[in-house]
Amino acid sequence: MNEAAGPSDHGCIELAELSVSYGSTLALRPVDLTLYEGVTGLFGPNGAGKSTLLRVLAGLLRPSSGRATLFGKEIRASSESIRRRIGYVGHESGLYPRLSVIENLTLFANLYGVPSTRVDDVLERLDMSERRIAQVGALSAGLARRVAVARALLHEPDVLLLDEPYANLDDDAAERVSAAVLDWRAPGRVAVIATHGAKRVKAFADAGIIIQRGAVISYRRKSATGYEVAT
Amino acid sequence: MAERGFVAKTTMLIRKDLLVEARARDTLPPMLAFCLTVALLLAFSIPGNTVMQDAVEIPIGTVALADVIAGFLWITILFAGLIGFARTFEVERADGALDALLLVPLDRSGLFAAKAVSNLVYIAVVQVFLVPVFALFFSLSLGADWLVLVLVIALVDIGFVAIGTLFASLAAQTRSRELILPVLALPGLVPIFIAAVELTSDLFLGGGLETVAARGWFGILLLFDLVFVTVGALAFEFAID
Repeated sequence: MNEAAGPSDHGCIELAELSVSYGSTLALRPVDLTLYEGVTGLFGPNGAGKSTLLRVLAGLLRPSSGRATLFGKEIRASSESIRRRIGYVGHESGLYPRLSVIENLTLFANLYGVPSTRVDDVLERLDMSERRIAQVGALSAGLARRVAVARALLHEPDVLLLDEPYANLDDDAAERVSAAVLDWRAPGRVAVIATHGAKRVKAFADAGIIIQRGAVISYRRKSATGYEVAT
Repeated sequence: MAERGFVAKTTMLIRKDLLVEARARDTLPPMLAFCLTVALLLAFSIPGNTVMQDAVEIPIGTVALADVIAGFLWITILFAGLIGFARTFEVERADGALDALLLVPLDRSGLFAAKAVSNLVYIAVVQVFLVPVFALFFSLSLGADWLVLVLVIALVDIGFVAIGTLFASLAAQTRSRELILPVLALPGLVPIFIAAVELTSDLFLGGGLETVAARGWFGILLLFDLVFVTVGALAFEFAID
């Protein structure tokens, strides 16, 4: 595990006056933030706007106003060079239930141009090797979640966006997911992990954002003396 | 491993769609069941002793049987196609796979091409089943002109799947997609299907390749294919995003 990788001052993701509305409902109030390399926990209750923010960061949702940049480039899902650098797991698995675990991961590996040995590697890392020929639709929600995380890690993205990655996982599986994220962590890489159960992510996060009713109410980064307010 | 090209990635997505359909059987069986039911009902609507005549020979106040049967054939294909197209993005929506797919490094036109080719395969399977059924039920005999009918069908299918796939991507983002798709797609499909009926009717009346190629509808069909494929590939990005 890459435990040495810690927070730095390299801004990877920048949000400027970014807001999202669904009709007359303001899902995300105007926010200015800089996210740095390392793991940032995104905490808040259900409906706080965590998933909305992650979808904007993935380029899957266009903000109503403001802009988001990733490594200095505006985030747009239509940009192939941006997409290649993102690994995303949403609320759902993002997998094909009629295909097996190995068929799903091989499909995405081929689409990203990743060697098939990498599929075995991520399956091993998430302790899913024994389920490789099982149809995803036949897996429990927790097992499907682990395959979804494996899919997001397949192409070793620079930006990892995980929405409730611990949902339906038992403790051992949750530890596997955390270990896989820590293994992936490296200088220049940024992960944002949204969860309403902060405890597990706080254990290894370099920064934490608390979001409530669409507004960021706290943003702190880990320092030598504890957590400091960040902007 | 060298990254694969546009065609290779698009082919992977087509193979994925066909594999999922082979296992789920969600799309083709309803299309085929619809076709068989409609063909059977239509067969009973035509009197048994009717014969095909050229339009100039039929008495005023009656209709040409060739036009009617060609109309029956293409209306059946049209609605069977809409049943199938409405399910185009269901496989992606089921577990949020569309988000994962939208993030892969492949141009949106590749996604469009993959979905359009998958739809083309479904509609071709329907036609391979439906045309012989119509030939049997309505005593159609085209001789060597079957090949010309295959050409007409292929040209109609290209425009049909292009516009159907494009609007299916828009309709997929609505709750009542099965209802929205025909509303969106039918106005654009009307010229193609008029051309299809006119050209097929000519073939049923004994016209060959020369007759069909000389008709203005043949040119219209080619033009609409070109426009719809181009518009579909370019507009898909905006529709799906």
